[in-house]
Amino acid sequence: MESLRDIRQNIKAIKSTQQIMQTMKMISNARIRRAQDAMAAARPFAIQMLKMVSNLEPQVMALPQPEDGPETWASRLFINRTADDNKIGLVVITGDKGLTGSFNAVVLRAAMRFIKEHFEKEIFVFAIGKKGRDFLARLKMPNLHIVYESVGIFPKVSYAHAELLGEAVLKTFIQENLKDLTLIYNDFKSLASQNLVEQIILPFEPSDASQKISTQEFEFEPGLLEIFKIMVPRLVKANMYRVLLESQAANLAATTNAMDAASKNAGEIVGALGLKLNKVRQTGITNEILDIVNGAEALNN
Amino acid sequence: MAKKLKLNLITPQKQLLTDLEVDMVVLPALLGEMGILPGHVPVLVQLTYGDLRYKKDGKDFDFAVMGGFVEVKDDVVNAFAEGADLADEIDEEAENQKIKKAKEALTKKDADIDFELAEIELKQAITRMKVKRRKMS
Repeated sequence: MESLRDIRQNIKAIKSTQQIMQTMKMISNARIRRAQDAMAAARPFAIQMLKMVSNLEPQVMALPQPEDGPETWASRLFINRTADDNKIGLVVITGDKGLTGSFNAVVLRAAMRFIKEHFEKEIFVFAIGKKGRDFLARLKMPNLHIVYESVGIFPKVSYAHAELLGEAVLKTFIQENLKDLTLIYNDFKSLASQNLVEQIILPFEPSDASQKISTQEFEFEPGLLEIFKIMVPRLVKANMYRVLLESQAANLAATTNAMDAASKNAGEIVGALGLKLNKVRQTGITNEILDIVNGAEALNN
Repeated sequence: MAKKLKLNLITPQKQLLTDLEVDMVVLPALLGEMGILPGHVPVLVQLTYGDLRYKKDGKDFDFAVMGGFVEVKDDVVNAFAEGADLADEIDEEAENQKIKKAKEALTKKDADIDFELAEIELKQAITRMKVKRRKMS
């Protein structure tokens, strides 16, 4: 049986851990607000951009071939690409720290499955977040190339981070002639839940609805092609920014939930230990009384 | 002057103006300044670093924009800017500091990535200064 002192010490330790967890919960709770605001503020840009690019798409598809390549302009970043089937890209976004419940594990499991499914292909990986970076670096698979990594950007994601990531993605995509680019991250669904998202973001899918809206009447300055050439990278970056912000908010929400659950758990343990403490104390007192009574009895006899 | 333009100004970080009714917009287009009045033909314009101005109720408002593009259609002006600062909110002192810092970084030429970033910073700070100066004069 544990001694009183051991139990007291145990309670104290758990209580201080609980304190830490509660603090962590409060911190991430406070940060969520800001993350959510940033997310909401960034949304219109990404949505409007996508609309505009899809509107232009049919026209760009109809453009003649560029002089410096065999493909049409459209195929450079859109469908109908004559790409290398054996090369694909993968963007994995995790958090930098643990203590977030299943937040990182879910993403990494999905990434692992993806890698296994495409084990015969060359995979170009963009790792965001320390957890994902470490995990992927440990795999040491010959077909896995980590071309870009970025750690320690949460919880202060800025557009500059998205720009660097977007730049790297586009560069690799065109240079290596990737077939497609998959993105795996956690989407912020609500404060209570995150959604694992696995989607192909490049090349763009042609949207049927936009086909009807004609941009024929537009004038372009300096020219359709020039505008389109800078528009697509910007769209990709805006998208990256949105995804990073989503991931950031989801990460904070996950931390809050995990810490909430953990501190509740700690509370339960403290309660149970308190009962045990009392029991031990009472047993001790009873034993002492018995000793005294026994001693007095012995003297009487 | 019954007809008005609706101006939207959006940056990746934030939607700055939403359906603001204005009389005129002047854009820093890649090939020179470009004025947009109500009834303008639909156009898609690439922007450069410069001064995006709009007139509302006889008053001028200036934004320092960092490139992007503008879509004009049906008297709606959608401006997508890489960055935008209202001229009245630009702090000259701070911009001067930034210019100084960026210039220092440029003379060092360490890693190429810092170089590019500094160059952009410098360009942005100078743009902001120019817009601010013009606004004051």
